Amino acid sequence: MKKNIVSRIDFVIIILTSLLITAGLIAVYSAVHAPGLAQNLYFTKQVTFAVTGFLLMLTIAFIPFKLIERSSYFIYGTALILLLLVPLIGVKGFGAERWLAIGSFKLQPSELAKLASVLAAARYLSKPEIDVNRWKHILITLAIILLPFVLIAKQPDLGTSLVFLALLIPVLFWAGIRWFIIFIFVSPILTAVFAFNFWAFLVWMIIISTILLLSKQKLPILIFIFLMHIAVGLTTPVLWGQLRPYQQQRILTFANPEADPKGAGYQIIQSKTAIGSGGIWGKGFLRGSQTQLKFLPAQHTDFIFSVIGEEFGFFGISVVIGLFILLFLYLLYLAANLRSVFASISLVGITTILAFHVIINIGMTVGLAPVTGLPLPFISYGGSFLLSVFTMIGFALNFSMNRYKN
Amino acid sequence: MRLPEKNTLEKRQLIYSVILILFFLFILSGFIRLQVTHKNIYVQKSISNSIRKVEIYPVRGLIRDINGAILVDNRPSFAAAVIPKAVSDSTIQELARLFNITAKSIKKKIRKDYGFRPVIIARDISQEQLAFLEENRLSFPGIITIVESKRFYPEGIRSPHMFGRVGEVTPKEQLFNPNLKTGDLTGRSGLEKGYNTELKGTKGVTYSRVDAYGKVIGMYDINRNVPPVHGSDLYLCLDYKMQQFAESLFAGKRGALVAIDTRSGGILALVSKPDYNPADLSGKIDPEIWNQLLNDKGHPLFSRAIQSTYPPGSTYKLVAAIAALQEDIITPQWTAFCPGWFKLGRKTIHCWNAAGHGRVNLKQAIKGSCNVFFYQLGLKIGLDIWEKYSRMFGFGSRTGIDIPNENKGLVPSTAYFNKKFGVNGWTKGNLANLAIGQGELLTTPLQIAQFAMILANKGVYHKPHLVDHIYQYGTKKNTYFPIPTKYVNGVSDGIYYFVREGMHEVVNGGTGWRAKVPGIDMAGKTGSAQNPHGETHAWFMGFAPYDMPEVAISVVVENGGGGGAVAAPIARQFLEMYFYGKIIPQPVIRKDTTQTEIQQPLQIPNFEILQPIPVSAWGDSLNP
Repeated sequence: MKKNIVSRIDFVIIILTSLLITAGLIAVYSAVHAPGLAQNLYFTKQVTFAVTGFLLMLTIAFIPFKLIERSSYFIYGTALILLLLVPLIGVKGFGAERWLAIGSFKLQPSELAKLASVLAAARYLSKPEIDVNRWKHILITLAIILLPFVLIAKQPDLGTSLVFLALLIPVLFWAGIRWFIIFIFVSPILTAVFAFNFWAFLVWMIIISTILLLSKQKLPILIFIFLMHIAVGLTTPVLWGQLRPYQQQRILTFANPEADPKGAGYQIIQSKTAIGSGGIWGKGFLRGSQTQLKFLPAQHTDFIFSVIGEEFGFFGISVVIGLFILLFLYLLYLAANLRSVFASISLVGITTILAFHVIINIGMTVGLAPVTGLPLPFISYGGSFLLSVFTMIGFALNFSMNRYKN
Repeated sequence: MRLPEKNTLEKRQLIYSVILILFFLFILSGFIRLQVTHKNIYVQKSISNSIRKVEIYPVRGLIRDINGAILVDNRPSFAAAVIPKAVSDSTIQELARLFNITAKSIKKKIRKDYGFRPVIIARDISQEQLAFLEENRLSFPGIITIVESKRFYPEGIRSPHMFGRVGEVTPKEQLFNPNLKTGDLTGRSGLEKGYNTELKGTKGVTYSRVDAYGKVIGMYDINRNVPPVHGSDLYLCLDYKMQQFAESLFAGKRGALVAIDTRSGGILALVSKPDYNPADLSGKIDPEIWNQLLNDKGHPLFSRAIQSTYPPGSTYKLVAAIAALQEDIITPQWTAFCPGWFKLGRKTIHCWNAAGHGRVNLKQAIKGSCNVFFYQLGLKIGLDIWEKYSRMFGFGSRTGIDIPNENKGLVPSTAYFNKKFGVNGWTKGNLANLAIGQGELLTTPLQIAQFAMILANKGVYHKPHLVDHIYQYGTKKNTYFPIPTKYVNGVSDGIYYFVREGMHEVVNGGTGWRAKVPGIDMAGKTGSAQNPHGETHAWFMGFAPYDMPEVAISVVVENGGGGGAVAAPIARQFLEMYFYGKIIPQPVIRKDTTQTEIQQPLQIPNFEILQPIPVSAWGDSLNP
């Protein structure tokens, strides 16, 4: 194992991220392109951030592995303090407080919190005495992840806070939690949805009963879970009725943005138009009328994928989605082959964060996911997020280089 | 936890990988649906998204007189418009302050038009407002100024009733005609309404490429652009110098004058006084001026020549005369004795000439406008025949002149009286009154002028019309409209001869001598119609020259007094100007025939003089 340091670098990750960031820079160039403008500030800035991020990634890759593991609680604590500071000294942007201004640099603590929660949860779960199937330990893991969730949801930044919810199950699953506990977590959400239709609810309750009976748990627990579902099913429509019409509308719009063609729906309609009109081969670089005539809202940030869809067509998006899938599958493969439990769980967490961003963001551009304002890793314009993504990949590189350490 | 077995982790890796792939396949299916299955729909959408169709307003056609002199022209005016998609709330507030309107009203206007089509919120803005908007362009995103045109009337042009007004289309009109867009202009009255289709022209279209902020990037495809077509010009039958002169004759008077070319039906003058300056109601209307016009006791908004109905007075005796002769009720030699009064039942009614006309035949009765003769004649004719002849001469129905809102007047019939007074509620007295042009009968000055044309042409008449022809800019050609020529059936030439003779004598030594134009042989009839508003309405109708008529004229002066004294001189001056281009100095007034006729309507049970049109009905098409 005494190879030189360069040969230890994981070139699969380096190549995939390089390809993705290149695709991102092409898309940003097109999205902010303005005819007659010799130099585009947005593009220059994004290139600067990409280079900085790449160097940051390499730097992180060479941090001593044990230092990361040991400092994970410290990072988590710092992130929590910064999150608490946001409402006090934060900068307002888009109607919510999300930023901390440090000199001229704007820091988004929620970006740090994502990674910090993963590291802290991984650190906790990696202790030999922790059993992921014991309720006490489950609840502590939940607390580590849900604390930043609550702070971020209050900002309010619903999209980012959802990332934390998405983290829960994959991390616990990777740590070996039993299916039945996952079922207990997930099923009440479905119960709440099905409660609006009697027949759907009835069928769903029969399914639940079957699963419960097959689970071989003690009878009192089964009865308790069953009653809990009944209670959720009965109270949800009542709670819904208590909401004011505009609140109901907001929730419905979140689920189906096209119901509101002037607000959120406007973005979706324009985005779908851009993507659909791209066809299979696209309209060509800088040739997309939706993009170049600025019909796409937030086309260099949240809706950057629509630019690719319009100008490079189904072919272009397939290439980019393919790159993402390769990256995520490789990271999961890596996670299964690490010696360190901490690194393994952390890597699954990082993969989940990135995959959640990608799925929600791309799904949003074609109207299959709600508009949440989650940017697309490597592709979307924005320095803070890009650096955050490179940091996460930097950790992945680090874990890969130290895969035989435990 | 401790590190699990390798194959346990590989199993988890496989499960997680499959779940991730399923998510991505789900999303990929969305892309296939948009980019492969429904590609064409979205291509179409993206084209219409970035290509904006801009309508270009055409220039409204001009109105000219027979010599081509411009009477109604256009001048540029500026309008402020907002692009709903690009305008912010604070800008709307600012705009509301600038134009002194409420922000709510602006929002209401743009609510329907969500998008990039500019919506005009203030028309005909002042130079200061325009300058302010142009200077602060950058601080008011989404606000643009648009050049429009508004009607302009050259110096000395009035005749507002003839030209009419232009106004914005109402939401109600848009319901009936979806092609009309908010802010489009349309004729509201007069020629502007009657010939709106010809005047309005055809909108042009340009297709330009725009960005999401509504900014025009460039042209889309020049070959698809359609230039606007200038609205057709109207050429009137009249010489505006004559119209102007006719209007000047009514200084300080209320009334109307209609002069028709008997050879074509073309209107030579159409005067309604008092009037207003048409420029006041062009472009933005000052509410103060509007209220002033609306509340003016003289009702200047009302087009008297075609909309006001008056009892025609003695001019109408000619109808009774023709009816009686044609139906062989009397011969031209039939005489009646006028002692200055007439006994009907227990009532005694007087002729306007208290001394009496003595024994008079028809011609003499017309010349002297003897009431007693026509009372007796009316009773002999009967209501049904009288009504039949009234309708034959176009009374009780519209002449069909080419401007809207014409009143058809009222010719009472047996059914009408039965309905109004009950079957036994009316008497021969009503009939006697009608024979001298009083009572329920109502006519417009235009109808009387048309009647004069019929008499001049011995039964032949043409539809009265203001527009001679139009000039189309598209085809660069003049277009003439067919003018229907009609004929009064069932009145023989000989009867016209007698009546015209009578009218000839009216002007030559009869009650209408003041209408006589030196050197021109002519005919006419005076009238002084009783009405509940005070002095009699002074009437004169006639035609000239007698043998080869060119002009038929009717003049009414509201509450002016006697027709011979007040209306006839107006007609004379108009005709002098028409035939000689100047006023002929008057000879010394002959003393013996200066007396004017005054009619005494019968005082009979249930007798009612019809009220003139209620004020509330006046000008109802003139809502601002």
